[in-house]
Amino acid sequence: MNPDLDLRLQHARALTRRQFLKTSQAGLGGIALSGLLGKARAGAASPSARTPDSPMAPRPPHFAPKAKRVIYLSMSGGPPQQDLFDYKPELIKHNLQPCPDFLLKNQRFAFIKGHPKMLGTPHKFAKRGESGAWVSDILPHFHTVVDHTSIIRSMHTDQFNHAPAELFLYTGSSRNGGASMGSWITYGLGSENQDLPGFVVLISGGTDPTGGKALWSTGFLPSVYQGVQCRTVGDPILYVSNPKGMDRDARRRSLDALRRLNEAELSEFGDPETLTRISQYELAFRMQMAVPDVMDIRQEPESMLDLYGAKPGAASFANNCLLARRLVERGVRFVQLFDWGWDLHGTSKGNDIVYGLPDKCKDIDQPIAGLLKDLHQRGLLEETLVIWGGEFGRTSMNEARDGSTWLGRDHHPHCFTIWMAGGGIKPGVQLGATDELGYQIAESPVTVHDLQATILHLLGFDAERFDFPYQGLRQRLIGVEGDGHVRKELLA
Amino acid sequence: MSRIVAFTLALILCGVVPAPAADIPATAAVPAPPSAHGQGQGKKVDFNREIRPILAKNCYACHGSDEGTRAKGLRLDLREAAITPLKDGDAAIVPGSPDDSSLIARITEEDETLRMPPRKAGNRLSKSEVALLERWIEQGAKYEQHWAFVPPKKLPLPVVRNGSWPRFGLDRWILARLEAEGLKPSSEAEPHVLLRRVSLDLRGLPPTPDEIKRFTEDKAPGAYERAVDRFLDDPAYGERWARIWLDLARYADSAGYGSDPLRPNIWRYRDWVIAAFNQNMPYDRFTIEQIAGDLIPDANNSTRTATAFHRNTMTNTEGGTDDEEWRDAAVKDRTDTTVQVWMGLTMGCAKCHTHKYDPITHEDYYRFYAIFNQTADRDLPDESPLLSFSTPEIDEKVKKINAEIASLKKMMEGIPRDTPERKALGKKVADLEKSKPVVSNIPVMVELPREQRRVTHILKKGNFRDTADVVQPGTPKSLHPLPPGSEANRLAVAKWLVDRKNPLTARVAVNRVWAQLFGAGLVETEEDFGTQGEPPSHPELLDWLAVTFMDRGWDMKGLIREVVTSSTYRQSSSYTPDSPGDREIDPRNRLLSRMPRYRLEAEMVRDQALALSGLLSNKVGGPSVFPPQPEGLWQAAFNGQRTWTTSEGADKHRRGIYTFWRRTVPYPSMAVFDAPSREICAIKRIRTNTPLQAFVTLNDPVYVEAAQALARRLVREGGKTPEDRVKFGLALCLCRPPRNEQVTPLVNLYQSELARYRQDVPAATALATDPLGPIPDGMDPADLAAWTTVANILLNLDGVLTKG
Repeated sequence: MNPDLDLRLQHARALTRRQFLKTSQAGLGGIALSGLLGKARAGAASPSARTPDSPMAPRPPHFAPKAKRVIYLSMSGGPPQQDLFDYKPELIKHNLQPCPDFLLKNQRFAFIKGHPKMLGTPHKFAKRGESGAWVSDILPHFHTVVDHTSIIRSMHTDQFNHAPAELFLYTGSSRNGGASMGSWITYGLGSENQDLPGFVVLISGGTDPTGGKALWSTGFLPSVYQGVQCRTVGDPILYVSNPKGMDRDARRRSLDALRRLNEAELSEFGDPETLTRISQYELAFRMQMAVPDVMDIRQEPESMLDLYGAKPGAASFANNCLLARRLVERGVRFVQLFDWGWDLHGTSKGNDIVYGLPDKCKDIDQPIAGLLKDLHQRGLLEETLVIWGGEFGRTSMNEARDGSTWLGRDHHPHCFTIWMAGGGIKPGVQLGATDELGYQIAESPVTVHDLQATILHLLGFDAERFDFPYQGLRQRLIGVEGDGHVRKELLA
Repeated sequence: MSRIVAFTLALILCGVVPAPAADIPATAAVPAPPSAHGQGQGKKVDFNREIRPILAKNCYACHGSDEGTRAKGLRLDLREAAITPLKDGDAAIVPGSPDDSSLIARITEEDETLRMPPRKAGNRLSKSEVALLERWIEQGAKYEQHWAFVPPKKLPLPVVRNGSWPRFGLDRWILARLEAEGLKPSSEAEPHVLLRRVSLDLRGLPPTPDEIKRFTEDKAPGAYERAVDRFLDDPAYGERWARIWLDLARYADSAGYGSDPLRPNIWRYRDWVIAAFNQNMPYDRFTIEQIAGDLIPDANNSTRTATAFHRNTMTNTEGGTDDEEWRDAAVKDRTDTTVQVWMGLTMGCAKCHTHKYDPITHEDYYRFYAIFNQTADRDLPDESPLLSFSTPEIDEKVKKINAEIASLKKMMEGIPRDTPERKALGKKVADLEKSKPVVSNIPVMVELPREQRRVTHILKKGNFRDTADVVQPGTPKSLHPLPPGSEANRLAVAKWLVDRKNPLTARVAVNRVWAQLFGAGLVETEEDFGTQGEPPSHPELLDWLAVTFMDRGWDMKGLIREVVTSSTYRQSSSYTPDSPGDREIDPRNRLLSRMPRYRLEAEMVRDQALALSGLLSNKVGGPSVFPPQPEGLWQAAFNGQRTWTTSEGADKHRRGIYTFWRRTVPYPSMAVFDAPSREICAIKRIRTNTPLQAFVTLNDPVYVEAAQALARRLVREGGKTPEDRVKFGLALCLCRPPRNEQVTPLVNLYQSELARYRQDVPAATALATDPLGPIPDGMDPADLAAWTTVANILLNLDGVLTKG
């Protein structure tokens, strides 16, 4: 066998045994939390070389990053900015009056037909926090954390159907085939915990986002950087549990036999891939411990569950927020939450803006405030970039599909609001503004590629140079041709 | 390695700029051909291999064929333009005189802000790249056409020293390169190893013990060839090779996007592909039927089914979509996929502007697009037009029911609304409607009638609403013309693709076969034969195979048979001890001094586990099936189908190619093993090695069931003693005689688990029966649980998951 392989094999063996001894000593209840955390932090300090058996080894970006990890809170469907963050008194004045003709000229709508009426928000707004940002009353918990955030009211996109708009936002291209933001970032930075996936996806609201799995796809990047969906019901990661009747000791014994046979295979054929396989099976064994452990929110004190409004056993956004903190705390690089139910067309009571919207806000308001406070208290917010937003905005007009009497808004690509916090974001910034009717952007438009470039910048990447060769092109998150500009106004 | 050395190495390897991930090929993919070796400073520079990549990567974006982005009127992709003095009097290139060439001056400019290429464009040129450009200009700055656009030629076979090794021409090309590098081929693989390899390659399944016996007992010359012929005749061959094509055809059982509605009958296209491979349909015919099976003179339901190839594009049924927008997206997909699949070129970027690297203009793109822009489908939720698979019996039945309904409706006319009589009749009508037999139908290509043909415009930046000049249908102007006298339609394009003048189709096809059999193509960038792709490792061999393929009537089985019976293919895959493939000369084994060894693909991992355990159903074709998957995975939006009704009986154990393929939620165990989502054409699968794969083969109930069945097989067929059974299992799964060092750990595992499960019968019963079913008479739960543990490990052996 070649000497290099032999060395790596010896190293792998030593590691395996150490790991097993450690687990045995900790008892089968699980590796002590502190052990896992300690490991994650130790890993952070010593970036190591990437080899085929350690594709997730951490490595530094182009320049010193402000943020080390990301929690992206994706509101699937497109929340109505006029009812949450973009206060438009003029629109309220024109509530249910006919829409001026000029707003309809050359416009395409998904559902609005004929001549719609304007729709002012039925909810009260007030200036909140020291930054004095206008925020709707239906986000009462958010008022308490508004000063951590920076609000962008001038986001816009060029897609007005869900799947393409989500693909554009999360992969940089409105067509399938691209690599997702989380995959790019995990590819670029690796992960600080080798016993957990580097990019984790959590879903709430009972429905997958419209773009489906493509939104956390690795595209043309190596598939190890794909987002791994963790579930709060059933196996936390598919097939992580041993077959019924097989306990962890039995699994260990069987993996020991497997390793011995694979080592024999290695000395017979000398294929380095065999060595990689040996280490991947050992990693799987460690993950079998680490994943259920991190996903078990019953370990949290009652006060912490209350802070988020989390209830163990549920598949809720609140639980997912708490899990997001547990994951980033352990060194997971990118955590993306998708919450279904923001497509508030007003076709029924459940999806209108008077009743449906406040319900939806209740699902997310306390958990988000809890998450920001918790991250802040733990000193994690400084290096954790938190982003909140949907894939597009909603119209300033009432949709009234098929004569519906519930109030709701159609898809609107020309302006929407997102906010960011932590990880190098200057708190209290309010960037951009829409016109009086909240229909077009009046100042400082921010494109989807700008947002992506800014996120990458905070993580230490120059979006122009962060590329991957595929099909003869320099593929980038901001697109082969795209130009994203870092929005310096947002930077601390 | 000392710690200091290791640390330093780590620092070097980290780099400041994110390097490509570990599994991305380094740039020096192939050792340079012998002609370029060791001839000192003055050696001849090869434009295609050494210069074009530098110019293409660093210069063409602003100084290439795209007028829209050309800077300072300078064009470096054509010699004529590059040597012509510009307005300021300087010429970029003065042949023979690098010192007078402004190109050299600009790339060596000391002022950072003036140096080319500009910082923003990305990389700076290295010293060696500058030196190469200088030498090339000194030698006269000769341009050559990109190799892939010159039609392939069959060159005389090279002379080799070891004349007894080659069996075919292809072996001589391989050997000639090895000998030139001072390398030797490996010895021939052991017979059973070879049989497993070729069985997996041809059928996607391992050989059965009977097949191994028959082969090893056949001592007459040609035994291997006879085994190959048996495999080629097995219907499993078509299933295996159809799988590869279905990735290209982006075949799936759903329409994509949003609610991702199901396409319950599209499997008929999948079956057409399987049958085409099994019947060994010539590749030219295979091409014509799929692109234009509706337009050929002998069109029939089978050739029309073939055109579903291009109806595998996605349909966006999300509410409030602009159908024209998504029809346009589908036509673009067809345009891109056609060029990708048959010609290995990426046209995608020409949607928005002229290709910066390859000779495809913005206008060329929309001329080609125009050919696919004339079909009747338009992103409608019903996916029309459809080809109906009705039968005379069904037609008769429907006719009868329709007549009954008509007469009932007539009766209803005279009866006032809301009366009991009328209601009763209404119910009768509704019942009759429900009783109509469901006619299976699939979306196909149908050409619009002449008077409804669409006018095609160039689309600015690819935006379907931003139209520019009208274009006429046609093929890229820099390539050979359409067959004279033919209308520029899909049929003409199909014929144009398989025209012998087409420089790419045959090369791309043989390269694809090569890649499947050797793990990587002769052109490693299977997806890009253009100037940005990797040059072929063996250019003459690629051409030799391509021309032979056409000469022999595009005979697919013939091509495959020749490759798998070659000396090159029969080599051992062992790295040690007798593979002289020097790691320094050819670390990635691109010259094939041994057979590559790599992991099985997703479907093979599944099929093999089912085959070894004896569960596999060998039924060919029919509707897609629903093997077990965890509950709650289908969470489609907008009232999309959420119910995954697990198949029963033999349909639980069909080959992976028959698993229902939903684009937004692909079958998880396949996706984990790198199967694509098939939303768009996937030219090649990446091979990864991850812990999630270990979870699948260790714990997925499908694999647990296979282990349980294999355990029962070990007990039934494996002899009496634990040693015998372990040996039987190893021989069955690895297809080679077991060695003691493999036997002992498994026997020990069996003993330890037997002892444990004797103490815990409920656990034993669970492990041995859930989900396979009750313990057979005469078997013991603890014994079966212990064997299940052993079988579970057998199915996870590196040698089982790998093709050696």
